[in-house]
Amino acid sequence: MSAEEPNPAATPTPCEDIQGDGRWMSLHNRFVSDSKDKEPDVLFVGDSLVQLMHQFGIWRQLFSPLHALNFGVGGDATQHVLWRLSNGELDNISPKVVVLWVGTNNHGHTPEQICGGIMAIVQVIKNKLPHARTVVLSILPRGKQPNPLRERNAMVNKLVQEAVLSLPHASFLNVDPGFVHSNGSISHQDMYDYLHLTPQGYQAVCDPLHAHLKSMLDKPAEN
Amino acid sequence: MSGDEVNPAAVPQPVEDVQGDGRWMSQHTRFVQECKDAEPDVLFVGDSMVQLMQQFEVWRELFSPLHALNFGIGGDTTCNVLWRLQNGELENIRPKVVVLWVGTNNYEHTAQQVAGGILAIAQLLTTCLPKAKIVVLGLLPRGERPNPLREKNAAVNGFLRSWLPRLGQAQLLDVSGEFVHSDGTIIQQDMFDFLHLTSTGYRSMAKPLCDLLLQILEETPEERRASLV
Repeated sequence: MSAEEPNPAATPTPCEDIQGDGRWMSLHNRFVSDSKDKEPDVLFVGDSLVQLMHQFGIWRQLFSPLHALNFGVGGDATQHVLWRLSNGELDNISPKVVVLWVGTNNHGHTPEQICGGIMAIVQVIKNKLPHARTVVLSILPRGKQPNPLRERNAMVNKLVQEAVLSLPHASFLNVDPGFVHSNGSISHQDMYDYLHLTPQGYQAVCDPLHAHLKSMLDKPAEN
Repeated sequence: MSGDEVNPAAVPQPVEDVQGDGRWMSQHTRFVQECKDAEPDVLFVGDSMVQLMQQFEVWRELFSPLHALNFGIGGDTTCNVLWRLQNGELENIRPKVVVLWVGTNNYEHTAQQVAGGILAIAQLLTTCLPKAKIVVLGLLPRGERPNPLREKNAAVNGFLRSWLPRLGQAQLLDVSGEFVHSDGTIIQQDMFDFLHLTSTGYRSMAKPLCDLLLQILEETPEERRASLV
């Protein structure tokens, strides 16, 4: 799917400090410094869905025991994650598995562009961490009722799933436990604002994810 | 604060569905629906600082027992909260206390305008709920190190400190002192992204708030209620 025009979703871009308190860069610098000190076996990277996971009991319950680090930043789109990983966040660490969960904030980009952005991130991870395996998580449906973003996210998932098939170091994992009910609605018990997960929503996503990661960590990587 | 110009932070405004999934309106609609069924004694209203609180244990432990409802929406400004309250989120409920926490997202407005917007919401609340007490939470500092938004939020609190006492039923509760260390930094253990509170951060500000609410609820005479069954 190479094209003549640059893909904005695959062009490393830091977040501009529009608000004025420098929080995005503070977080990035924290992560760079963490990667100097810590030795994670699993690295989670992505947007607020990754970041918020760290705030609930589920993180300590399921992922701390796997020696996991969390490099999630709310609001990040693929181009922001790409910039962060290309600018220090992968230096000095050698996790066995990188979990990548990003794409829902790529507003204005086509599914093809978003897939391209995700695949660019997978490539950067491969370049920096040649021995790590990357698990790309499906982007969840959003909004209370059916809407164009659900279609967009579903299309991204389809494209990414196909694209990683040919890659020995990467795989796609569908983590949607069935959030959309038969009447097409998503419950606020699962997503309190129809985008971000409640602790209950996280439990449904993370239990199978945890099992999958455990099985990956128990099995030695193929060379 | 009175002037001939309209304060943009006091103009009611819904959030436009730019992203395309209608989530803001879905949340507002849900709150309007909740007003039909619930009989809260305490109503929390505001932005993500309010909304996220409900996702942590502290809500179930301290505020659910007070029969509290949570009408927070992430990203909301004073304009958005004003619109929501004027468009159904106060119908059929008679809380004894309203906790208002909003203003940190008013990026386009000056500190004085933001304070004016908060005051306008407090005035609307006293008009619609004449018997309710209003607790306005001071804006928290934000950002890892000192920066203009910290100064702005502190200035908003300063205006509120002067203006709120003029509304007999409203008071300011400023919990911002908890969060800035002597070296000027805010730590991630309190605010995971230097704006939003962690479970630990919520615990430290929820205690004084809960104590105040209990005090107010004890002072408020019980109203006669129609029997439920």
